[in-house]
Amino acid sequence: MAERQLTQILTQLKSAPSYETALPLLSKAKLLLAQLNALTPSPSVPPQIQSLALQTYEQGALASIRASNPQAFTRYVDQLAPFYEQHPSDEKNKITGLYLLLLITQGGYDEFHSELERLTAVSASAFDAVESDRYLGYPIRIERWLMEGSYDRVWKAMKQGEVPCEEFSVFSEILTVQIRNEIARSSERAYPSLPISSTKALLFLPSEGEVMEYAKSRGWILRDGHIYFPPAVAAQETGEDGEKKEMSQVVIENALEYARQLETIV
Amino acid sequence: MEMAKHDREHPAKYPVLDLNEARPDITEPIELSLTRRETFVKGFAIQTTGRLGAWNQVARHFEAVEMPGKTPDKEPVENGGYRGGKDIEMKDNDLKPKGKKSIKDGDDEMTVVVPPSKKQSSVPPPNDADGDVVMDDSDKAEDGAVKVDPVVQAINDIKSNYALLDRAVALFDARFSLRALRSISSIRKRLTPDILAQAISETFTASSPSSHVASGLLQAIGRGDVSLGRQPGPEMEIDSEPKAKNGVKKEAKEVIPEVDVFLGILTQVLLYDTKQFQRGFEFSSQLATRVQSLNRRTLDSLSAKVYFYFSLFAEQMTPLPPSSQSPIVSIRPTLLAALRTAVLRKDIDTQASVIVLLLRNYLLTSHITQADLLVSHTQFPENAANNQVARFLYYLGRVRAVQLRYTEAHEHLTAATRKAPSSASALGFSQTATKLLMVVELLMGDIPDRATFRETSMELSLHPYFLLVQAVRVGNLEDFETIIADHADTFRRDSTYTLILRLRQNVIKTGIRMMSLSYSRISLRDICIRLHLGSEENAEYIVAKAIRDGVIEATLDRERGFMKSKEIGDVYATREPGEAFHDRIRACLALHDESVKAMRFPMNQHRLELKNAQEAREREREMAKEIQEGDLDEDDLGGEFEGM
Repeated sequence: MAERQLTQILTQLKSAPSYETALPLLSKAKLLLAQLNALTPSPSVPPQIQSLALQTYEQGALASIRASNPQAFTRYVDQLAPFYEQHPSDEKNKITGLYLLLLITQGGYDEFHSELERLTAVSASAFDAVESDRYLGYPIRIERWLMEGSYDRVWKAMKQGEVPCEEFSVFSEILTVQIRNEIARSSERAYPSLPISSTKALLFLPSEGEVMEYAKSRGWILRDGHIYFPPAVAAQETGEDGEKKEMSQVVIENALEYARQLETIV
Repeated sequence: MEMAKHDREHPAKYPVLDLNEARPDITEPIELSLTRRETFVKGFAIQTTGRLGAWNQVARHFEAVEMPGKTPDKEPVENGGYRGGKDIEMKDNDLKPKGKKSIKDGDDEMTVVVPPSKKQSSVPPPNDADGDVVMDDSDKAEDGAVKVDPVVQAINDIKSNYALLDRAVALFDARFSLRALRSISSIRKRLTPDILAQAISETFTASSPSSHVASGLLQAIGRGDVSLGRQPGPEMEIDSEPKAKNGVKKEAKEVIPEVDVFLGILTQVLLYDTKQFQRGFEFSSQLATRVQSLNRRTLDSLSAKVYFYFSLFAEQMTPLPPSSQSPIVSIRPTLLAALRTAVLRKDIDTQASVIVLLLRNYLLTSHITQADLLVSHTQFPENAANNQVARFLYYLGRVRAVQLRYTEAHEHLTAATRKAPSSASALGFSQTATKLLMVVELLMGDIPDRATFRETSMELSLHPYFLLVQAVRVGNLEDFETIIADHADTFRRDSTYTLILRLRQNVIKTGIRMMSLSYSRISLRDICIRLHLGSEENAEYIVAKAIRDGVIEATLDRERGFMKSKEIGDVYATREPGEAFHDRIRACLALHDESVKAMRFPMNQHRLELKNAQEAREREREMAKEIQEGDLDEDDLGGEFEGM
């Protein structure tokens, strides 16, 4: 009974146009799963119900991504993890790829690599398979480029058509902000000054007006059509002065410590 | 050659010094400081390793001196001829734990678990001596006279350990059980189902309460039909009366659980060596349950061993580890339960052993997050056996490396390679740990010391890594990619492949650094061409990031499209040498502290010292009193003053 109901809800879910319509369906599906005692893949649950549970969670994950709800998405991914240990699924790579991308945008690089390690450990040829996968290869490439500093490639990869599927483009906005900030921080250190006109291209901003706005938000100084970044440098120098003062103290502390240790040894 | 040498000496940590190789025209003054620095660094390195070696020696020596003294009750039993036996046993002591250690290295597993063969000849004498102790001193001469039948010998060797276990229980001293465990390696080679069956049947009587345990053991090795309580077989009859009588006497009392667990471990070893993994796995899980139910502190080191083989069996069964259906996943609850119990019982041996096994278990299926959670929720016992500490550090280093916490990983892996025993039997572990350490060093932007690659024991297995280091050092992206492609299988087998792929950015950074050191000004276009980057914009972003990460000291000029290197100051003007010096001193001091902690002191010695000190103080007080009273003045002190 509950099983048939669940199947119905699933078909409805797959064609659900928006998160708002999917949400009540999802909670109904989860209630049914709880009735079937199939919220986790325990051995007592028959396989076909397990696969229904798996599909429910997958739909939930995709729906929450479309609604840009990372918390809900992470929850679904966590619930899916034990199912994926036992069942193959068509959507697995897509969801894992989305999860990896989410981790990148949240700066969870350690989790990203832990996850990646698990994906590639399955067999010797798995790594190539993972890398060439449409959904999994994308976040891996993005991460590599971000680490290298090839921001232009990330930018290009986020353009329409390059993204493996529509769910992935949800992250594009977050990633854009992220790389823009990265570039800005690099620029503060790397350039003594920048002409406003070329900064537009550098930061992937659409117009000079937005460059001005962005520069103001970061506290850069605009003068004669150039951007100057003095405050960061100044802060650095005062910081160093402070360190120097400390240094003599550190040396004295060290020397005293050595003396004390020597005394205990001799 | 000269240039290469300098570069090797000074990894990325001291970027300025590399100036030399880039700008040969200005070598003069810097060369000077270089040599000064080189001697400073090198001298220190030698000193440090020298100290380390010395400490190890001291520690080992100390233990060597200690051991005979620990068994004074044994001394009178043995005649002079057996004295040599102790030395051999010391060697045994050194070798065995190392032997089992390299089990981590998947490749060497089978070979390394088996202890070095040269021991075969040297071991029987000490065991014989121990055998004598069991059988009372009286028949010693006789035993020596009998021509030793290998089967009888093996059974005697097994039985000789009962005495050690007995003593371990009686004196509540774990070291005796450890000695019994150590002898497994020598018995192992001669072990056959028949020998073990006979040993078991001679140990247990059919009527004893633990007979069901014995029959379980017999069934496990496929000798279920052997009856219990058998007297020493016909071939032993030559050994004459006293021995048989002795046997009866022994069986009359209850067999202590330590002995039957010991026999259980021997059974595990036998099944493992004969590759009966399925049967071994079933037997081990029973044995583990039994060990769990027995709450005896003297059993600690034995039960640690039981779990060790238990998990080893699980790993060998199909489907093999990386698959999520592997039996190692199913033994996790058992191991976790064992860990819980061990912690509650303050059973350090089992705790350490099981934590290591669990970590290994998680890493085999690449469950890094779980491994990390395990580490953060448990406390590895501080005074665990050295080998377990080394393993733990290695696995922890692995976890941290995957999580990009390279500094921690480096720390743990360095400690692991240092703690790894230097004997040949643990080579597998040293190699694996060194490989990982090198990759982590590269990821941190350091270049591993070339001397490591030259060690004869490492040279061959480290060769792919040597090529890798060369490519990273030069910053040649093309070489790097070809090396990865050529040796992908090796790297995958060592499970360093994913880590190595992360090195790509380091190669690029090194390349940029070379550029920045070689040219005071270079166009982005040239950088792009030389480093094989996609485009000029790409190069610009990468260089900007490198500047921000502090890889190079330079500025970019966007309008004219070039990178301008900044003049670099003298490192000696910074606090860096001081910091390096401080780090080393701290390492030495920590080493000293650890060595002091590791030393064993004879019991109650401090009371003697206290007494001496008390006496000395009293004498002093008397003297002071005398001086005060002026007794001494006239005799000696006063006279001299007058003389002046």
